[in-house]
Amino acid sequence: MMLLEVVAATKHFGRLAAVRDVSLAVPQGELRAVIGPNGAGKTTFFNLISGLFPPTAGRVVFDGRDVTGMPAHARVKLGMARTFQITEIFPELSVRENVRVGAEVAAGFRLRPWISRAEGAELQRRIEETLSLAGLANKADRLVGELAHGDQRAAEIAMALALRPRLLLLDEPTAGMGDQETYEITQLIRGLHRDGKLTIVLIEHDMRVVFHLADRITVLDQGKLLAEGTPQEIAVNDAVQAAYLGKAA
Amino acid sequence: MTGGEGARKLIALGAIWAALLLAPYWMPPLGGYTALGTRVLVLGLAAMSVNFLLGFTGVLSFGHAAYFGLGAYGAGLALKFLAPSTPLSLICGMLVGGIAGAILGALIVRRRGVYFAMVTIAFGQVFYYIAFQWSSVTGGDDGLRGFSRRPLDFGAFSVDILSNAESFYYFVLFCFALAAAAMGFVLRSPFGRTMIAIRENERRARFLGIPVERHIWIAFTLSCFFIGFAGALYALLNNFADPKGLHYSQSGDFVIMAVMGGMRSFWGPLLGAAVFVILQDYLSSITVNWMSFIGLLFVFVVLFFPRGLLGAIRRKVQA
Amino acid sequence: MTQLLLFNVTNGLIIGAFYVLMALGLSLILNLSNVINFAHGGFLVVGGYIAYTITPYLGFWGALLVAPPLTAVLGLAIERALIRPLYGRDPLYSLLLTFGLAFIFEDMTRFIWGAQGLPVTIPAFLAQPLSSEFFFITGYRLFMVGMVIVSVTLLFVLLRYTRLGIRIRAGTLDLETVSALGVNVRMLRSLNFAVGIFLAGLSGVLAAGQLGLEPTMGAGLLMPSFIAIIVGGVGSLTGTLLGGLLIGVASGVTAVYFPSASEAVMYVLMAVVLLIRPRGLLGEEGMLT
Repeated sequence: MMLLEVVAATKHFGRLAAVRDVSLAVPQGELRAVIGPNGAGKTTFFNLISGLFPPTAGRVVFDGRDVTGMPAHARVKLGMARTFQITEIFPELSVRENVRVGAEVAAGFRLRPWISRAEGAELQRRIEETLSLAGLANKADRLVGELAHGDQRAAEIAMALALRPRLLLLDEPTAGMGDQETYEITQLIRGLHRDGKLTIVLIEHDMRVVFHLADRITVLDQGKLLAEGTPQEIAVNDAVQAAYLGKAA
Repeated sequence: MTGGEGARKLIALGAIWAALLLAPYWMPPLGGYTALGTRVLVLGLAAMSVNFLLGFTGVLSFGHAAYFGLGAYGAGLALKFLAPSTPLSLICGMLVGGIAGAILGALIVRRRGVYFAMVTIAFGQVFYYIAFQWSSVTGGDDGLRGFSRRPLDFGAFSVDILSNAESFYYFVLFCFALAAAAMGFVLRSPFGRTMIAIRENERRARFLGIPVERHIWIAFTLSCFFIGFAGALYALLNNFADPKGLHYSQSGDFVIMAVMGGMRSFWGPLLGAAVFVILQDYLSSITVNWMSFIGLLFVFVVLFFPRGLLGAIRRKVQA
Repeated sequence: MTQLLLFNVTNGLIIGAFYVLMALGLSLILNLSNVINFAHGGFLVVGGYIAYTITPYLGFWGALLVAPPLTAVLGLAIERALIRPLYGRDPLYSLLLTFGLAFIFEDMTRFIWGAQGLPVTIPAFLAQPLSSEFFFITGYRLFMVGMVIVSVTLLFVLLRYTRLGIRIRAGTLDLETVSALGVNVRMLRSLNFAVGIFLAGLSGVLAAGQLGLEPTMGAGLLMPSFIAIIVGGVGSLTGTLLGGLLIGVASGVTAVYFPSASEAVMYVLMAVVLLIRPRGLLGEEGMLT
């Protein structure tokens, strides 16, 4: 059963085709990495999946349901959560409050004038659980805007997890991180995938991370699908080599 | 929240309510008069309603005077033509302001930032022109007259809020407390947290599953109900409603009150309203050029107190 | 009846042309600097009063030539001193500041020139109606429309063909990139502001000849300009042009059948446009508004 299917998606910005005819199918439980040189259209592709804007052509199917024209917030309700390349958080709220917003929405409380004591306790339990999963339990009362970059990234992942997603989309989770932070985030993602059985699609530049985590890899280049396969296959793929080395040279 | 901060908040809250409850006693010796205090409460509630959107949802409405004025006309017309009942007039005023806000809000919630501000101003002016032109109902430029607030009738006894300024002050304070409690209640609810989430980061809020436009619309509508209620109280205060109350320059006054007091704090706009009302009262008694001074106040607040008085105090305390 | 209709359509076009001139200045500043210049009406009035003051010395033509640049200089000074520090901040602040400035302008013009309306003498040959049949088209009205056409044309030429104009247009679309290309963005914003205020000053002189001068006239002309921008679509100067003419004609025509609604019709028009095209007639597709 495919959890996520993108069928021949194309996105034009004016005359520029940022994504051209890209298809992808991710089964339940897989960790898929999307890689490609700068300007390959990876983030645009993510935005199509998560609903920031609709594709010019093509379809997005989530859990058997066509979500192509569906607004972003409705996709979240179906179980799709994402993070951004440039961290998107609520800087003037504490880590716990950041996570709390997600947890309340996931629990269906967003329009509720109040929540019962029992509901509140259950919510609190889930918030704390999410915080410790993301390794933020001891920083829960700090303002997110004041945290180190790596912790902000972790907080953003925690917010997404608070939504109890079935598909997690991570846009360059290790961007701008040092080795130690990269290691910690990688361990976190690995845990979510291995132990939590979470389906994850991530864009990543750090090849160590990609080859360490991914079940399969999708390679985009200049908006087009260049290759797809296991890490072993991608490592020896000539077209991929050419695309990367060609750019580097 | 740490224990110390919690205690500090409780003390501040106690001080605010003590000051409000005792205002008729401490204001006159300082050169104020009770009706001035009532004015501060009413305009403060209006500024708090504007700030409900501006400070807590991050949406700049510059046309809220329209819903304030509609509340005033709603209350005045209810007293004049419907029934001589003060509570009924308040409810009518609130409904008129809130319903108008709900309808127009649906048209404008897709816009953001300066464009939201522009569209709210322009739509607000619609009601100004209606009040101005439709003189057979609204009294036109002269304003709506011929009504006055009625004594509160509790069956066994009644309270004269018409001629007794103190009684009216306490009546307004009671209404103010109800509205402020309702506002605080919404802000502490899960819905209130989604408002703050939208203010902090709209994109993040959207991708946490919050339908942002719908939530802004709800917040807009709620704030119009609140300011409609304030407008109704204003009509009762003056026994009069006039088109100026709907004009965008009145909206500007509300926004500057909120900013001057501190838009990130719940009580800031009340403080801003107090400073503004007292200053305006004083300036207009000493100079014909008070308008220039109010203008300078705008410039001064923007350049030197962008976080408002409470924001500045809070920074001092933290430093 | 037809003559009455013709009269009001013409009238509407003339008023619309006038809104266009004022709205274009507002629109320029809004598009590049994200500032809603509430003091725009104030600048207009100041322009008119400056013209009134210098007419005795330089005559109408001299005033027409000198008053707009003087107003622009005043605008430039205010932009440098007060508005420039606010560019990085929430647009709320520049809005409030210019709002306060509008108060000061209105009060100061009243203080200096008095609250009474002042007439401005226009050259006699312009005051004549063209013919008895078209009594409503005076030479001055034609002249006003001519001036608007010339200035709008010049503005569009400036924006399309000069380096300053090209930079302003590019900055409107993507200020960061323009800045990265080494353009002095602060200077660009200042000059752009000055151009906008020049147009306000010019509107002031023209309005003074038609309507006379009153300290409060600026506030009254501000709202139609807002509506012109919203109807035309924020971000598009051509849209502003179209919006201004449209609301002018709409209120002119309404004046024939339902005089008391001639002001309200602008708002109705705005509501209809926003319902059908939320971005306005020519609003930019890509702009995140």
